[in-house]
Amino acid sequence: MTSKFLQLEKAEYAKLVEQLKKENERLNAFNFIDETEKDGKIISVKDNICVKGMPATASSRILHGYVPGFNATVVDRLEKSGFSVVGKTNMDEFGFGSFGLNSEHPAKNPFDEDYVAGGSSSGSAVATAVMKNHVSIAESTGGSISAPAAFCGVVGLTPTYGVMSRYGLIDYASSLDKIGFIGKSADNIRDVMEKTVGGDEKDTTSLSKHISNENPRRLYVVDNLMDGVDEGVKDRFEELLSKLSSMGYTVEHISIEYLEYSVPAYYILSMSEASTNLAKYQGFKYGFKVKDFSLNYNDFFMSARKQFGKEAKRRVILGTFIRSKSIKQKYYEKSLALRRSIIDKMKKILENGFIITPTMPIFTPKINEVSDINPVEAYSMDMLTVPPNLCGFPHMSFPYFYEKGMPLGAQVITDHFNDYSLLDFLSEWEKDFKYRFKKEVG
Amino acid sequence: MKIGLEVHVALPTKTKLFCSDLAYENQEEPNSNVCPVCLGLPGSKPVLNQRALEISTNIANALNCKISERTWFVRKVYFYPDLPKGYQITQLDGAIGTNGYVAVHGKKIRIRRVQIEEDPARITREKDYSLIDFNRSGVPLNEIVTEPDIFSLEELKDFIDELRSILYYQGININQELKTDLNISLAETRVEIKNVTGVRNLIAAAEYEIARQSELIKSGKKIAAETRAYKEDSNETVSSREKETEEEYGFTFEPDLTFYDTTRITIQKPIIASTVAADLANKNDYGEKTIRELILFNRRNLSLLSSIKKEEFKDGVSLIEKFASFGIDDYSEKEFKDMLKHDVSSVEKSDFMFMLGREKKPEQKAGKPEIEAGIKEMLSSDRGLMERGLKDEKAMSFMIGKIKEKYHVTGKEAADFIRKVIKSMSNN
Repeated sequence: MTSKFLQLEKAEYAKLVEQLKKENERLNAFNFIDETEKDGKIISVKDNICVKGMPATASSRILHGYVPGFNATVVDRLEKSGFSVVGKTNMDEFGFGSFGLNSEHPAKNPFDEDYVAGGSSSGSAVATAVMKNHVSIAESTGGSISAPAAFCGVVGLTPTYGVMSRYGLIDYASSLDKIGFIGKSADNIRDVMEKTVGGDEKDTTSLSKHISNENPRRLYVVDNLMDGVDEGVKDRFEELLSKLSSMGYTVEHISIEYLEYSVPAYYILSMSEASTNLAKYQGFKYGFKVKDFSLNYNDFFMSARKQFGKEAKRRVILGTFIRSKSIKQKYYEKSLALRRSIIDKMKKILENGFIITPTMPIFTPKINEVSDINPVEAYSMDMLTVPPNLCGFPHMSFPYFYEKGMPLGAQVITDHFNDYSLLDFLSEWEKDFKYRFKKEVG
Repeated sequence: MKIGLEVHVALPTKTKLFCSDLAYENQEEPNSNVCPVCLGLPGSKPVLNQRALEISTNIANALNCKISERTWFVRKVYFYPDLPKGYQITQLDGAIGTNGYVAVHGKKIRIRRVQIEEDPARITREKDYSLIDFNRSGVPLNEIVTEPDIFSLEELKDFIDELRSILYYQGININQELKTDLNISLAETRVEIKNVTGVRNLIAAAEYEIARQSELIKSGKKIAAETRAYKEDSNETVSSREKETEEEYGFTFEPDLTFYDTTRITIQKPIIASTVAADLANKNDYGEKTIRELILFNRRNLSLLSSIKKEEFKDGVSLIEKFASFGIDDYSEKEFKDMLKHDVSSVEKSDFMFMLGREKKPEQKAGKPEIEAGIKEMLSSDRGLMERGLKDEKAMSFMIGKIKEKYHVTGKEAADFIRKVIKSMSNN
């Protein structure tokens, strides 16, 4: 394994900052670039992960001014291994979005600024695309690593739920949130992952478990997931499958019952948890502060909560509705049962091979094509990335084609705790694939 | 009349329920015992205090509950300035204990649930502003929820008394702080009195509310289903003009925590003080009330009284009271047993302390031969001192004083004797 990072001396750091600031004016990759001189291997961190002394806003106005006094465990572990955080990357507010547009200053696609970067880890994907040998610490709840990785032509690895400590992560939906990586080399991602995985006494849901790399060299295509996929994307995907079979993979077509219900089940569970995780933003202890202390508590509280963006408000309202006693069984509990059932069904398949899908059902859209679509259409864009996220299966989006200059990504999914097989797969893929980037700094 | 209670007691743990800050908050500067977890800062995560789980399991067991083999937590979502996360981590379906009871004079008051939960912060209300102290935020509590099985004020008093005696042997003194939500219905309608602090206020609030509702019934008026608050100053309950239904809390699984296996927890056989007191009274033919008071005053008293024979029992009780009246609290079982061999009924404190071996034996007056030998020894080694004494009366008086002190002798006779010995030495 040969990992190779952008490694700087202190004297070189200011130049990188200058280059990044310039790129950032165009692409909005960063919410914050740290100008404090530093050296070491350069990484960036999604803005919903706490880095001591740097602002953490999760791209929300309600968190403007919040500077955590502690590091997320993942950041702690990386800093101890000689990594330095250059800045905090842009994202959809609290992770709510698939295009990166739910942000005050949306990140733009590094291949063409008229196109979306994907979301919610938009900035992490853009930063990775524009910096040499970069790895960004990102986070996925329902596809927030895969989607931007695919649209920006980089690799996005989402590990098994629980193998990465969530301590220091600003929660969206705690039972679904997974810290992961966006990079452009299997070796670099493996290096960063090896230094950050493993149980953490500060996160009860984290665990230490051996991570394997079993690869049965079999790929399953789930036909009932492919129904909503764009015909052009399907054609490219078929070509990918041919290439992979020439590399010695057996390709099998199957269908998995209930998989098409993943998206509604996911949104019900995630909104339900999100509506409680966002209850802490009340406008008087940190972040946005209500100035008028003469208001009674309800009005005070309301004036703070107005700071949420439209999508955040939608998810708080829907999530609160879903949790209400009279209808909880109808939606929430049914979704839990679906999740359980889908995990069992997918696990049976994943024990024998990878599941492979296109990452997104469409080619990279232009910003103006998706800025006005309705929420249900927007949520349906996650149809391929939600199943592994809902079930905590490790998965990876990797670039495989350039369609009219824009990258196209596919996603491989494997069984719980078999994460390293994905990086082995990528190493093999990289032997015969050349990443393309428009411009790289550093 | 039906009364049901939700009783909140603080657990005797060193640290808070979900972080490692100290759990006792009273002596501290406001907001000094806090961290990202109990302030609910974005990015922080709760980690369950295992000791709190152990204590709660034992409490649930002492209240005859069914212990959940797999227990879990929920978020109770509501907005109040003392609740930093916008939800309280508590328990509902996966509560540590369910379906228990407390036996009060042969009647079972059913316990619906024992749940583990975190205390919110403390709010101090001033005239124009309020202050919040997060030292209390995250202090571990047990909420004990009864069925509405209490039918009179007397039963309420007896129930609280019994609960006190059970919890005392789980390390909890409910006299120190007790917060109760009280549900009372004399007719069909249920009235809830929230947040009553202390045992005395609980009884007073119930008494007032029973009178208030009786009066309304008598005069043919309707009782409103409402939440009320007890005002200590005026000793009355007043309407809080709020009624929250369970639905509004939007209870949901706490996904930052996990399922906890309680089967590995050691459950101690609970000590039910009232039962033990009755047994001791019966066995030793002694008054139950006194025994109960003693064993609820200090846990050591139970082991002392349990360890002595019937014929010593009366003396044992007297001895415990003797210790208490002399303000001696730090005695061992061995010291107690030793003292039991003596008749101490009319002994003064100083002698008692001497018998206990805590104070030195009072020095005995020395006899004349001993004093004479001592003076001779002293002066033969220091003739200079003796000559000064013979010349100078002041020096002589000083010398006599010192010797009197050394041999614990007093009075003119002793002084004359000493002078005589010193003078006789000069003739040698």
